[in-house]
Amino acid sequence: MNRILAISGKELRLYFLAPTSYFAFAIYILMSSFMFYVDFVTYQPSIIDYRLILGDMLFMLLIVIPVLTMRLVSEEFRQGTDELLLTSPASVTEVVLGKYLASLGVLMMLLVCNLAYPAVMSLFGNLNMTTLWLSVLGVFLMGASMMAIGLFASSLSQHQMVSAVAGFVLLLLFWLAGSMTSQNETLSAWIEPFSLPDRISNLTKGVINGPDVIFYVSLAVLFVVLSIQVIERKRWR
Amino acid sequence: MLEVKQVSKTYDGGRGVRQIDFSMQRGEIVGFLGPNGAGKTTTMRMITGYLYPTEGIITVDGLSVHDEARKARSKIGYLPETPPLYPDLTVDSYLKFVAKLRGVPAREQKLRVAEMVSRLGLNGRERQSVRHLSKGYKQRLGLAQAIIHKPDLLVLDEPTSGLDPNQIIEIRSLIRELGENHTVLLSTHILQEVGALCDRVLIINRGELVMDGAPDEIGARMENRFAVTLEVSGERERVETVLGRWAEARGITAEIRMETLEADGNPALSPAVDGSDTDSSAASTEAPEHDRVSEKGESKASSDDPEIPTLEQTGLESTESLALSDTRMSGTVRALLTASDQQDFRVELFRLLADTDLPILELHKENLTLEDVFLKLTSEPTAAAEDSILADKPASLDRSDDAAASETADSSGAEIGGERK
Repeated sequence: MNRILAISGKELRLYFLAPTSYFAFAIYILMSSFMFYVDFVTYQPSIIDYRLILGDMLFMLLIVIPVLTMRLVSEEFRQGTDELLLTSPASVTEVVLGKYLASLGVLMMLLVCNLAYPAVMSLFGNLNMTTLWLSVLGVFLMGASMMAIGLFASSLSQHQMVSAVAGFVLLLLFWLAGSMTSQNETLSAWIEPFSLPDRISNLTKGVINGPDVIFYVSLAVLFVVLSIQVIERKRWR
Repeated sequence: MLEVKQVSKTYDGGRGVRQIDFSMQRGEIVGFLGPNGAGKTTTMRMITGYLYPTEGIITVDGLSVHDEARKARSKIGYLPETPPLYPDLTVDSYLKFVAKLRGVPAREQKLRVAEMVSRLGLNGRERQSVRHLSKGYKQRLGLAQAIIHKPDLLVLDEPTSGLDPNQIIEIRSLIRELGENHTVLLSTHILQEVGALCDRVLIINRGELVMDGAPDEIGARMENRFAVTLEVSGERERVETVLGRWAEARGITAEIRMETLEADGNPALSPAVDGSDTDSSAASTEAPEHDRVSEKGESKASSDDPEIPTLEQTGLESTESLALSDTRMSGTVRALLTASDQQDFRVELFRLLADTDLPILELHKENLTLEDVFLKLTSEPTAAAEDSILADKPASLDRSDDAAASETADSSGAEIGGERK
């Protein structure tokens, strides 16, 4: 556990020493506040509902998460610091979990930034707190599974850009899983359950649906385990 | 301490290492030598658990690096070829991170980091970001990282590569210091380093271990001759006659080679002729070529071998003809005198030349250096090297072949030299 914390501490520190994450945060805040302005201010009458801007926020995650996860493992390979991590007493599982924990920390920060909008909304009327917090939980769960996918993409290559693109493509596949197959009903019955944004709708309605939560958690676990396997495999090359 | 048992690693391309087998005792400093791509790094990576071997077992203190990875790895400190540093972190935070990662107890961490900083001369740079450190300091930080948890075994992959001479000296003295408390395995392709640091040398070539022994022992094992290079001021003919007569009159068979230099010293020529004490691996110049080949012939030959005079005769004739061919060169004469027994003739030589008023400008005892051994081992087909050195077979057939080969190489080497002049 100490080693996991050591690694996630280091990762968090690196997040805020590298310009990339500032850039990602800046883009995220800029775009989401622009969307908030369009949705909330120019579209009259204003609706006091967090879900109004939720869709935009989720879409921004699709772009920001690959940028935030791309360096997690790639950079270690490129710098040769994987030799430090893999020859240390820490197991690959600990290394990957440490990194994943750090990425969850960053996700939390993104969420906190986003809470500014409901705070502004609440000045103009009553906000339904249940749906707000359940939506936030939903976004966190979804973001967590997306971070795991990004982490996995990062372990595939030592080039950050390749990792970012791979992460984006993977996320896009999960994102569009529902709409891509909407033409064919039998196919969509199989594919749609894997759609990332569809699973969040229950939570935003204020319903905690077990399968939805399990879907996000197991997706995160799956990709964390895959990352561990990909890195462990390098020892056998 | 460390046992590497029949370890092989195969890569997709067919490279890798085959059947590496050695062990290290506690407190030893072992140098791991080999040309680039021989498998040094691969072997070290397997020892440190970065790679798993395809075959074989590696144990550290009886713990398998593969099966009891965590325990075994906590006993190892590893400095890879490029120090594994995070350019964005500061020296302090980097060391703290490594201390945590390597499981240094929480209350000792601060102390240990401070200890490393002062021990490796990083004082005043704790707050500096690693990116802005010079190469030498990066290397020190890399070393600090490797020893912060006080490992039993220290594995250093080319610890002095890319450093300037001062830094090399510093790092070496550090390693020597570390060798007092740790077992050290270090790889290098700088041969002096092995002589300066190591108790024992392992030479690896094309993925196979071809030599294992103490640095001086290796030279001695392959050498049974006494050789000096000599630079004399005087006319070439006179030196030639004096030396030639003396060598003949001397009870021992001596091989004489003469090369002349222009008095004003052609700068292009001098390094080629001087290949004796420089550590440049000038395998292509004629002098080392000659050395190597003749050693090969003599390494197994006794002093009264009937074939030796023929060989020397050839060498003598060819070099003399070379010397005679360019008469305009005069001033200093360089010669390589080789006695095929190990008798020291330097005093005698000094007296002889002093009596004949030929001032000695330089007299240098030629040892079969580690470099020669290295070149010999790594430039031949491995199978032959193994036969002649490791197994030490009395292969009489081989030997005559060798002698013949050295004859031809000898004369051709001299001819090439002649053409160049």
